[in-house]
Amino acid sequence: MTETPPVELGPGEYGAEAPVTGQGRMEAAWGSSEGDEDLSDTQMTQPTSTGHVFEQVYKPWQGELNPRWMRNWAILRHHLLGIFKKGHRPWGMPTRLFILVVFLASLSDAALTLLSGLLGEASIHQLWGVSRDNLYGHVLGFFPRNVLYYPIVAALLVGSVISEDRQHGTSALYFSRPITRFDYVGMKFISVALIQAIVVLLTLTLYYLAEIISLGRGWAWILDTFPLFLAAFLSGFLLIFTYTSIGLALSSVSKGKFFPGIGLLAIVLGTKVLAVLVSTLFDREILYLLSPYDCMAHVGQTIIGTQPTYDQYSWTWSLASLVAMNALALYTLSARVSTMEVTRE
Amino acid sequence: MVDELIIKTTNLTKSYGPHVALDDLNLAVKKGATGLLGPNGAGKSTFLKTILGLIQATEGEGTVLGHDIRTEGDAIRARIGYMPEYDALNPDMDAIHQVRYSGELLGMNPTIALARAHESLQYVGLGEERYRKIGTFSTGMKQATKLACALIHDPELIIADEPSNGLDAKAREYMIQTLTTTVKAGGRSVLMASHLMDDVERVCENIVLLHKGKLAAQGAIVDLKAIDREIEIHVWGGATRLAEAMEADGLAVRREGRVMRIGHTDEDTTTRILRCAAQTGAQIRRMHEYEASLEDLFLVIMENLGYEIKTSEDLLGSPALARKVDAPAHMGGGGA
Repeated sequence: MTETPPVELGPGEYGAEAPVTGQGRMEAAWGSSEGDEDLSDTQMTQPTSTGHVFEQVYKPWQGELNPRWMRNWAILRHHLLGIFKKGHRPWGMPTRLFILVVFLASLSDAALTLLSGLLGEASIHQLWGVSRDNLYGHVLGFFPRNVLYYPIVAALLVGSVISEDRQHGTSALYFSRPITRFDYVGMKFISVALIQAIVVLLTLTLYYLAEIISLGRGWAWILDTFPLFLAAFLSGFLLIFTYTSIGLALSSVSKGKFFPGIGLLAIVLGTKVLAVLVSTLFDREILYLLSPYDCMAHVGQTIIGTQPTYDQYSWTWSLASLVAMNALALYTLSARVSTMEVTRE
Repeated sequence: MVDELIIKTTNLTKSYGPHVALDDLNLAVKKGATGLLGPNGAGKSTFLKTILGLIQATEGEGTVLGHDIRTEGDAIRARIGYMPEYDALNPDMDAIHQVRYSGELLGMNPTIALARAHESLQYVGLGEERYRKIGTFSTGMKQATKLACALIHDPELIIADEPSNGLDAKAREYMIQTLTTTVKAGGRSVLMASHLMDDVERVCENIVLLHKGKLAAQGAIVDLKAIDREIEIHVWGGATRLAEAMEADGLAVRREGRVMRIGHTDEDTTTRILRCAAQTGAQIRRMHEYEASLEDLFLVIMENLGYEIKTSEDLLGSPALARKVDAPAHMGGGGA
């Protein structure tokens, strides 16, 4: 029997008779030897990657700035889109949810009108269909709309819209830019008013359209009722304007969102309750002139043509009172905004 | 480049009733980095509001980047970047959207503003944190976000009000480095109002010192430091005799043990010190020119204005010391 000459093995190769020690893999994985290796053998031939190192580089910008309307649009967009998506003004989730609930609740008359059209049920339509009283009720009805819906929406919106700029010092962000105080307050006003308009005026329009669509109303009906719709629309505009001006005035004198919100509700509902109490106890109704809601209702009833609640007084008294309230609120708002600081608050 | 004026005021005066907040201010701020110094009530905030075109000057006139401060406030504010001292950020917004919005408020297209917001936040070191809510930021990160807001439209002049206020050492260092890079690499100008002399000295080459609405000093820090030029000597043996001899020779000597600082009056000062040492037999083992810090300079100017101040903090923290001011003519003021 001749001995087989040993086979020459290359590096990393093991003969069949070699004992299984696992050493090769251990060497590769952990380097289990004494640590006296010649490091030049294991040096990497390729350069190591050092990863990304932060380098501060100033990048110039050669673009041109757009004019005033674009800056104003930015403020409007910031507030308006914040209701719908992230990245803009962060309205609180309770505010957004409440607006959604009120929006849907405000469409209850539209939904019932559609239902009456679908079922052909005259009694439902008689109760909820478009009429002088129902158009008034959609905008200026006291309960639930002007107790639970619109004033609370206004209170949630105005609560922090200016006061937060005082609280967080973000007024400096506006006034250190080419933005005038008028533009600042004007755009905030329009933003808040537009969000309320979605709840009040858009739902009113949808209600009117629901009647046309579900009952197949023709031009004659539209011509007949459109002035009523416009009157209700105007009443809604008056409501939104008044709530916004009073609310923003309160927001401008505060640094928090609680006071303006509660203040607005106290003014709207408190004066109404006071007028009712005085009327009930002393049979004197004149105090309704202190209530923004009562004045708006009186003016709204007149222009829509429903039975006025305070028919012993001329509606012009209510209008004058409303004008005075709004003037006082807008004066407070402008005076406070004009004192907002850039360097420190 | 350095001779180009970015801010110039002539007899600028602002009064609130009987109180004169800015008094006949004649300023010329060159391109580059300038520190705006002054104790509380000096008129720094009024000055900033006036040059931003936010309040009308009672008298006098001025220009910022060539725009009239009385009639072109909008144009000025479009070309400058203002970094306020106090919080000016919505804590519920992400940094990226806050910076983008600040760009939109300048009239930038929303898409471009977003792209620039990324760049600005990257530049100020918040690249990785840009989608975090500002309310969760540290003071340093908030300061950096404010700087990003100021830089989004690549303004020619950045007005930084106390940029390193309340920052820890690391964040402060980064803020200083960022401002320095903006000036040196970016070629932009910075007007930096600060109480921290060290920071001003590191970023700025010029200063403007206001006091009680008046100009106390203005110019290059290097030039102004010449006001406080001293020679420091370390004496071995006969220090008292040497000090007396130098004082007898008309030199101003400040002594702390064996270390003395002698006011540098003329080129002959060194010879006179050595002559006194030779006469008294005192050994001078070390002699060098003492380089004053900006804080030293500040103190000297204030002392010249008639105050006894220990440190800048004493002065800055106590408006009661702001009694009277009339800057000497050689310091750039109106003269006593």
